[in-house]
Amino acid sequence: MTTAADRRMPASVRMRRALTNGRVTAVLIMLPPALILFTFFVMLPLGESAWFSFFNWNGYGAPSNFVGLENYDRILNHSVFHIAVGNTVKIVVISLIVQMPLAMLLALLIYKKTPTNAVFRLIFFLPYILAEVAAGLIWSFVFDGNYGVTASIAGGLGMGNVFILSDPDWAFAAIMTVIVWKYFGFHMMIYIAALQSVPQDQIEAARIEGARRLQVIRYVQIPAIKPAIVVSAFFAIIGALQVFDVIIPLTNGGPSNQTHTIVTYLYTFGLTRLNIGFGSAVGVILFVGAVTVALFYQRIFMKRAQG
Amino acid sequence: MAEVRLESISKSFGGLTVLPDLDLTVPEGSFTVLVGPSGCGKSTLLRIISGLEMPTAGTVRIGGQDVTFDEPSKRGISMVFQSYALYPHMTVAQNIDFGLRLAKVPAAERQTRVAEAARILALTDYLDRKPSQLSGGQRQRVAIGRSIVRQPKVFLFDEPLSNLDAALRTQMRVELAQLHQSLDATMIYVTHDQVEAMTLADQIVVMNAGRIEQVGAPMDLYDRPQTAFVAGFIGSPKMNLLPGTAIGRDDVATMGIRPEHIAVSDDTGYWPATAQVVETLGADTVVHAHVAGTGDVTVRLPGDRRLRAGETLFLTPERRHLHLFDADGHRMQDPA
Ligand SMILES: Nc1ncnc2c1ncn2[C@@H]1O[C@H](COP(=O)(O)OP(=O)(O)OP(=O)(O)O)[C@@H](O)[C@H]1O
Ligand SMILES: [Mg+2]
Repeated sequence: MTTAADRRMPASVRMRRALTNGRVTAVLIMLPPALILFTFFVMLPLGESAWFSFFNWNGYGAPSNFVGLENYDRILNHSVFHIAVGNTVKIVVISLIVQMPLAMLLALLIYKKTPTNAVFRLIFFLPYILAEVAAGLIWSFVFDGNYGVTASIAGGLGMGNVFILSDPDWAFAAIMTVIVWKYFGFHMMIYIAALQSVPQDQIEAARIEGARRLQVIRYVQIPAIKPAIVVSAFFAIIGALQVFDVIIPLTNGGPSNQTHTIVTYLYTFGLTRLNIGFGSAVGVILFVGAVTVALFYQRIFMKRAQG
Repeated sequence: MAEVRLESISKSFGGLTVLPDLDLTVPEGSFTVLVGPSGCGKSTLLRIISGLEMPTAGTVRIGGQDVTFDEPSKRGISMVFQSYALYPHMTVAQNIDFGLRLAKVPAAERQTRVAEAARILALTDYLDRKPSQLSGGQRQRVAIGRSIVRQPKVFLFDEPLSNLDAALRTQMRVELAQLHQSLDATMIYVTHDQVEAMTLADQIVVMNAGRIEQVGAPMDLYDRPQTAFVAGFIGSPKMNLLPGTAIGRDDVATMGIRPEHIAVSDDTGYWPATAQVVETLGADTVVHAHVAGTGDVTVRLPGDRRLRAGETLFLTPERRHLHLFDADGHRMQDPA
């Protein structure tokens, strides 16, 4: 850390300090491995896919059919891509207005350290631990129109057979249910950890001041864990941009391409159809989108949360 | 301003009984200080008065009313915590008027009350700051300000000064005493600090293992401790507690003599002793000496008296200042 005192020193002194206090050595030793790994596994693939995105290329041999921005043009005018982006936005919205409040509610109910709460915490966290594909499979059984739980419920209500996952209007709602179910535990854990670190004294002081339970939550606990909420919302947004594994076993993007997200779109139209150049272009768009969101989010919320 | 009366209060946490059976009256307008060793139940008692903790049995009365089952906010009390318990996301002003806002007190009145509290506590210039931008003493004042604006009948303090350095503690001690005078409210104050207890209190309650050992004015406890525990607890340096045989009394289990009540001579006296450690404090010199066959004795001498470790002394306890206790630790009839 550079302190104010450091900055006031002449450059030569600062240099000598830096050289002798071991910081420079540490940087010289520890930076190269990280830099090399980052270059090979992040920068190069990114650069490559940016390069591929200008070709019409099926992945075999060297890309030679240079098409300029045509891939981007096709993507941006593709109605399925619009659906995919819309679905991704829906996931963000549902995460923010359903999943996070649900996670907060449960966290408030079970954040105190008791044996019963520990059991509930584990139960609520289980979906998150489960592999995405397994979760997708489990829920595809639940939603099965002939044998699933929803079939029994629909039958009980006398609605006949309902095939939610093949209903273009409802399939994505079902998927969002699964996503909420799968990831709320993660946000809940963030809130639990944060709530546990709010000093008990503050809550008791509020009780003495006449705050009721809900007022304690609203005026003391939630403001105190605001940084955790900001971080959890960030994960929710970035996570929504990456939803993939849950969808494949449930609907595989169907019916009639209604349930694609950006990543399943990339996978379906880029990889499975051997349009590597096209897929790369989707990847680049996703990457730019994610970086933009991350930068803006950090600028706007994370700074303020710290202050 | 109100009297606080605890009747047959007991408190257990699971199987652990912290307060077996306790009666205490805190007179209206008094400054009552609870002292006692760590873990003796002082905080628990204060929390029972505040309503943050329910007694297992017994009755809490404030101003004559039974408030045992009332919510903390309905008892007319306020509490200042050792950690201050300020809300980090609110400004000083918001911290102070939080309770008033909850109670929907009109903005104009809130402002008047906050301004008044800020004036009393010299916080006027800091009202727009966040707690993180304040010093420890200022934070403590904010916590007190939060208490004042609620105009409680009873103020409760749980070791409010123990996170402050010595100089600030002295200053805040004086301010608390002034506050008590100007507000004329009942105050109950928990502390570890002898000096705080002696200077602030008009009534000290000495607790030990969940029981009250003695209740009285500071000088009462100092002059006539009713038990050996109180004798050893009140006063600094500690009273010397020796077996009765040290003064030739087989009927006395424990005799006590304060370090300031022992005469020292170079050539004659009751106990021949060897100085082992000499602490020169300026105004006083405290000598830890060993009396062969009796034990260690602490003596307090005027600061101009110079001594060196290893010197031989003759110590004579002043007879009229002896405290005698029986085998149960209770005070015996005063020596004539
Ligand atoms: N919520 C609780 N659950 C179980 N035991 C408790 C609880 N609160 C306090 N105790 C126990 O009650 C006893 C008295 O605690 P208390 O906090 O009243 O002591 P204290 O006199 O305030 O001590 P200190 O001077 O260290 O603050 C201790 O043995 C403590 O472990
Ligand atoms: Mg305590």
